[in-house]
Amino acid sequence: MSKITRRDFLKIAGAASAAGVLGHAALARAAEGGKGSARVVVVGGGFGGATCTKYLRRLDPGIAVTLVEPNAKFITCPFSNLVLGGLRTMDSITHGFDALKKKHGVNVMHDTVTAIDAAGKKVTLKSGKTLSYDRLVVSPGIDFKFDTIEGYSEKAAEIMPHAWKAGPQTVLLQSKLKAMKDGGVVVIAAPANPFRCPPGPYERAGMIAHYLKEHKPKSKVLILDAKDAFSKQGLFLDGWKKVYGDMIEWVPGAKGGVVMAVDTKKMVVDTTLDKHKAAVVNLIPPQTAGKIALASGLADDKGWCPVDPRTFESKMQPGVHVIGDSSIAGALPKSAFAASSEAKMCAAAIVALFKGETPAESSLVNTCYSLIAPKYGISVAGVYKVTEKGITEVPGAGGVSPKDAPDSFRENEAKYTVGWYQSITADIWG
Amino acid sequence: MRFKNHTLTLLLGAALVGCATEPPPAPAKAAAPTAAVAPAPAAVTPPAPPPTPAAVRNMISTCYSCHGTDGRSAGSIPGLTGMNAKQAETMLKGFKSGELPATVMMRLAKGYTDAELEALANYIGTNLK
Repeated sequence: MSKITRRDFLKIAGAASAAGVLGHAALARAAEGGKGSARVVVVGGGFGGATCTKYLRRLDPGIAVTLVEPNAKFITCPFSNLVLGGLRTMDSITHGFDALKKKHGVNVMHDTVTAIDAAGKKVTLKSGKTLSYDRLVVSPGIDFKFDTIEGYSEKAAEIMPHAWKAGPQTVLLQSKLKAMKDGGVVVIAAPANPFRCPPGPYERAGMIAHYLKEHKPKSKVLILDAKDAFSKQGLFLDGWKKVYGDMIEWVPGAKGGVVMAVDTKKMVVDTTLDKHKAAVVNLIPPQTAGKIALASGLADDKGWCPVDPRTFESKMQPGVHVIGDSSIAGALPKSAFAASSEAKMCAAAIVALFKGETPAESSLVNTCYSLIAPKYGISVAGVYKVTEKGITEVPGAGGVSPKDAPDSFRENEAKYTVGWYQSITADIWG
Repeated sequence: MRFKNHTLTLLLGAALVGCATEPPPAPAKAAAPTAAVAPAPAAVTPPAPPPTPAAVRNMISTCYSCHGTDGRSAGSIPGLTGMNAKQAETMLKGFKSGELPATVMMRLAKGYTDAELEALANYIGTNLK
């Protein structure tokens, strides 16, 4: 009846927020006659979550979108390996939320979701506030199973960093590389599948070797792998040989690569076959969906979240969507690009569902570049559709860069690696 | 094997314009109901109906991760603006056939039907300025 202006709405929302229930008025209005805006709360401001907020607002500016992200700025895992290689600064991989707030009208709250009440359609924040939603998107990334390796723990990660969440852990690993003496061994322990960023440990090996080659050329990189095969394997092995000679050694699981225990005092890594004394250990532990996903009953017994492949709505909790590394997204890898791609499909599906429409056909893509050296890039790409088998790769498409390509091809892909980063981060946080 | 294609590209490069001006296979109306009931075997692609506008928006949005939001690139990867639909179609189909050399687009374009590439090209020519 009465015309509600934007200013009035903000006043109401503000008052409601002060009372501890943001947008309660809007919910009542929506229930009365659909006049209020639909509300989406997004948990996590990374590649999945931040993309989702921007694309929700682009697709339907009538939707009130709130992003809950603990950090004032987001530091990306992509290109954190380049920081270790000395090619990038931490600043250059850090992104703020100003554009999402000012350009796209996303309500950004720097807080942590501590509980999800899917039945009551509300979340509780660390600050004590409660947010009501019509649909919730959970994009919390990963968490670590520290206790699967004897002697390893969150505390041990201060001595043997995982650096698999970018930030202080990246800086810590970098400082250990800088402090080590020439001639030392850097051990990278890579986990079994599934884990965040399948080519990541191997790009890291190349970037660390690049740093060592320049500053500590007698040193070595030893990859102890829980697996017998890895992403872009042929391309990495060829590239390492070509650029770094014998500096990088890869030990597959079947040949003693599986790390069983670590001794942080003696800096020793124990595998099924050998003990390795290291100058620096980068231990990437096995992973699960993010903590909040586990705590909210969104994950299965293996620790990852089953979702509807079209809408990314949880199969465990209605009204809650899970995107990014936490979700089980069929053939899609746990990559930053895939998370962003999932977020776009999730946003479009939510907009359709609010209108009472059937979500349109999905189209998902993955394009991941890895840098072996500053002028040596390789990539993997794939196009994905939703079939009766879930998210499946379109046959005959995608794949890795050609083997035996000329140097100019690798150099072009190195250039596009940087272009990829510029574009995807601007598409998400810009 | 892929690389053989790449070499072929150089040989066929001159034929690109000729190829691209061939009329696209008509999306036969009769094919639509058949496609709807067919069990869609993985190996054989039946002539697919053109995607809906919402499906095209989904498809194009995935391009923005590399080519920039609304095709306005923020870095060294070419943007998608300033092309008409025909130019975009020629490029996309050239990537798909391998006649137009690229690094990653040759692999990605193969993931779309001709009807999808035409719809994407139309979107690029009409909406991305």
